[in-house]
Amino acid sequence: MSKSIVIVEDEAAIRENYAEVLRSQGYQVQTYANRSSATQAFNLRLPNLVILDIGLEDEFDGGFTLCQQLRTLSPTLPIIFLTARDNDFDTVSGLRIGADDYLTKDISLPHLTARISALFRRQDALKKPINNDHILNVGALAIDTMRMSVTWQMKTVDITITEFWLVHALAKHPGHVKDRSQLMSDSKIFVDDSTITSHIKRVRKKFLIHDKGFDCIETVYGMGYRWQES
Amino acid sequence: MAWVIVGKRVKVNILPLRFGLRAKLLLLSSFLFVIPWFGYQYVWEMEKYLRYGQEQTLVGTARALATALHERANLFNNQASFLPSVEKGKDLYGYQFNEPIQLDGLKKDWPHYQQRAHYYNNNHQIGSIELNPPIENNKKTSLSFSASVGKFDKYLYLFFTVLDEQLIFRSNNARSIVNNDHLELAFNDSNNNFKRFIISNQKAGWLSAFRVEQEEVSELNTLSSNRIKETITPAPEIQGQWIVTPQGYNLELRVPLKDIGDNIAFAFHDVDQQNGQILNSIGSADPSMPDTLGTMLVPSPEIERIVKGMRYTNSSIWVVDQHHRVLASAGSLKTAGGVWQKSKFNNQIEQSNLWQKFKQKWLLPLYYQVLTKPPTDFIDKLYDAQNLTGDHIISALNGQSKSQWRLTTDQQALVLSAAYPIFINNEVKGAVIVEETTHGIRTLRNHALERLFTAILAILFLGAVAFTLFATRISTRIRDLSNQAELAIDEHGRITGEMIASTVNDEIGDLSRSFALAVNRLGQYNHYLENMSGRLSHELRTPIAVVKTSLEVLSLQTAAVAGGTKNHKDSAYIERAQTGINTLNLILTNMSEATRLEQMLANTEKTAFDIKALLQGCITGYQHIYTDTKFTLDLDSKTQQCQKLLMHGSPEHIVQLLDKVINNAVEFSDDNQVSVNVKQTSNELIINISNHGVHLPKAMESSLFDSMVSIRSKSKQTQPHLGLGLYIARLICHFHQGQISAKNHYNKDGVTLSIKLPLTSLQVKD
Repeated sequence: MSKSIVIVEDEAAIRENYAEVLRSQGYQVQTYANRSSATQAFNLRLPNLVILDIGLEDEFDGGFTLCQQLRTLSPTLPIIFLTARDNDFDTVSGLRIGADDYLTKDISLPHLTARISALFRRQDALKKPINNDHILNVGALAIDTMRMSVTWQMKTVDITITEFWLVHALAKHPGHVKDRSQLMSDSKIFVDDSTITSHIKRVRKKFLIHDKGFDCIETVYGMGYRWQES
Repeated sequence: MAWVIVGKRVKVNILPLRFGLRAKLLLLSSFLFVIPWFGYQYVWEMEKYLRYGQEQTLVGTARALATALHERANLFNNQASFLPSVEKGKDLYGYQFNEPIQLDGLKKDWPHYQQRAHYYNNNHQIGSIELNPPIENNKKTSLSFSASVGKFDKYLYLFFTVLDEQLIFRSNNARSIVNNDHLELAFNDSNNNFKRFIISNQKAGWLSAFRVEQEEVSELNTLSSNRIKETITPAPEIQGQWIVTPQGYNLELRVPLKDIGDNIAFAFHDVDQQNGQILNSIGSADPSMPDTLGTMLVPSPEIERIVKGMRYTNSSIWVVDQHHRVLASAGSLKTAGGVWQKSKFNNQIEQSNLWQKFKQKWLLPLYYQVLTKPPTDFIDKLYDAQNLTGDHIISALNGQSKSQWRLTTDQQALVLSAAYPIFINNEVKGAVIVEETTHGIRTLRNHALERLFTAILAILFLGAVAFTLFATRISTRIRDLSNQAELAIDEHGRITGEMIASTVNDEIGDLSRSFALAVNRLGQYNHYLENMSGRLSHELRTPIAVVKTSLEVLSLQTAAVAGGTKNHKDSAYIERAQTGINTLNLILTNMSEATRLEQMLANTEKTAFDIKALLQGCITGYQHIYTDTKFTLDLDSKTQQCQKLLMHGSPEHIVQLLDKVINNAVEFSDDNQVSVNVKQTSNELIINISNHGVHLPKAMESSLFDSMVSIRSKSKQTQPHLGLGLYIARLICHFHQGQISAKNHYNKDGVTLSIKLPLTSLQVKD
């Protein structure tokens, strides 16, 4: 059975473009233009994945509200914010209220579909038993490429798809410096340098929650970042 | 991001000496000085009127006194005042003495003897000239004398200074009293009886006076029908002293006034041989002839009694007869300050409180630098009581009352005198003269001026303080306003803060409110402009996304449908469109970069990091990125020595700053060389990034770091530039309390960008 995706987006052209592409990828796509119609639909049945815009018609933060509602309905439902707002503040808020990823509308459609499939893959993998073949161990870090999950010192680090790819790209070749453009292409995002910086900052913070002494992601000034084995 | 409203700051050339608002106000307030000047003038005017009043009062006093003397002929009768003319020397005037006279033959107790004495010489010869043989003409000159007459109490005093070559006393046994130097004195007593005396001494000392009474011998003796019998009796009522002087002799004597009437004569008879004949006689009149006696005037006790009643008027009063001779006087000019003097005495009762003490000690000495105190002592010309002179007296004796002002001889005091005629039988028989000094008025005027000065000082002081305070307040407010207005907009023309509108309800308050409003509106507009690019990029993002996604869908579909190279033409168009849309996207991203950076900086926490490692790492990194360019990093010895240069800040942003600056330097480099020079001073770290190439336009040096300023030539632009790179660099520098500046250098043409980061946030660790 094909996966069902709901797009809540007030801009009809973009909505239809995304819907068409996703449909061509074999997904079942429902589209809604505002929060009330989307809420009604969600009350009836939950889809497998939701793509939300933040600003919905008259509601400036309608996407955030919707995301919160969805999280109360299902804690595991993958939610992606796809929005024109590219500031840090919105990104942080979006991720904090439970979105799995936060993408700006700069993103190309192949990148978007890659992310969606990655999210599905991760969801599917979580249901399967752990397969050690897909686990990459670097010191205390364990990366499950199938489940797209990361554990540090045997503790799961709550991480988004983008961040996972960043960590994966760094940890795959420990000691090698990855510059920003490499990281960007590896994590399939298309944004400016400072976005990478803030992503790295967030990743560090997430590791620091579990380990106060975490310092494996090293900044190489002027070049990029590298995974430093402690 | 901000569009800068470029406006040249107008620099007002501030002169070294500024004529500020305060100075102007003070200048204007100086017109207030006119008021005290008017006050001063007013006091002077008042004094003038007071003087006029005093003049009138004085004339009134004179008239009152004259009224008391009108038509009282008996007062003047026996005063020999009715003579049509007086002959000096013959008609005598007895000066009034204030002190008793000692009969010692010395003139030292005779006041003003020299002025008052009359000199008698050959011109006053009397008697039978035929007695004197012409041969002895030369001897005639041997006798001369001066005489003075005075009155004290009940006596008439006479003083004679006789010059005589040969003093012959009466012989001890001589019976005759005339064959020696002697004085002959004659007068009519009050009963009009003729009395004749001869003073003929045997030796110097107490006078020997004799009365000579003449009796005509009976007519029986016809042979000598005119023979006169003389009886000589001693006259003890005439007392005095005869002393010998080198030039001759002095005679001082007194006669009881009750014996003396109006007429008097005296004469000296000179004898040069023992028991010799009289050689020469000089005198006021012939004493032996009752009809030709001279008159004698002494100050009249009756008039004096009347005048005495007037002496409480604070005036000096004289009564003169028609020959200018003083009949009576009262009061002294020195205490004659006029009626106004009384007010002075009232003010003598002064409270000895603090204010009075202050006034006495500080104010009055100050005032009397300007004012003159009426002198308590002054020297006036001496009135010859025998002959009072002055226009007013002449006028009064002509029947016209008159007053006049005059200065005392030493110019110290101003004297006002008024004269009023005394009429008897419609004829002027005398005049009353009243004199006063202006001391009373002057004291009064001084008092008024003292008070005026005190008031002026108080007003000036309070006024000056008030004006200064007011002017200071106003200028402070205006300066505050000007400072606020200046601070509200920084050197780059950005609104930095809101102005606090004044709540004071006046013009300056209005100005302040207008300014605040203007700055506020300007700020809102600026804010709108600053956010415009951000909003623009945000708003444009959606349509671009529409185009982009549509293109992508199209390309995917094209690829799916074609499955190969068939629609090569279509895909080329799509590709071009996608390139264009990507560039557009890049522009949008750049546009919002500064805004995003500002937001991020606001939320960035500063951490400690090693700036030395950061610099070294970055330069190595740039070497990788810009492979064609050669980077050189020069650290000064101080920086080289320390292992770590810890700085408090955001390393990512410092990197971003370096990225922008290095990118700039690489792009403008002619010879592919960029040198980075690091210097450490006591309080800051200076990073100089130099490249060789074209110079900056002079005008751009300061505005280079403003938003949306780019000096790249069109040909240089390989990708869109909005002139935000160096603006971002400046933002980051400011975030670290640092500075960034650009300068041309000439040793080899090029540009040096200089970044100064304060060392206060640097911690040097060895």
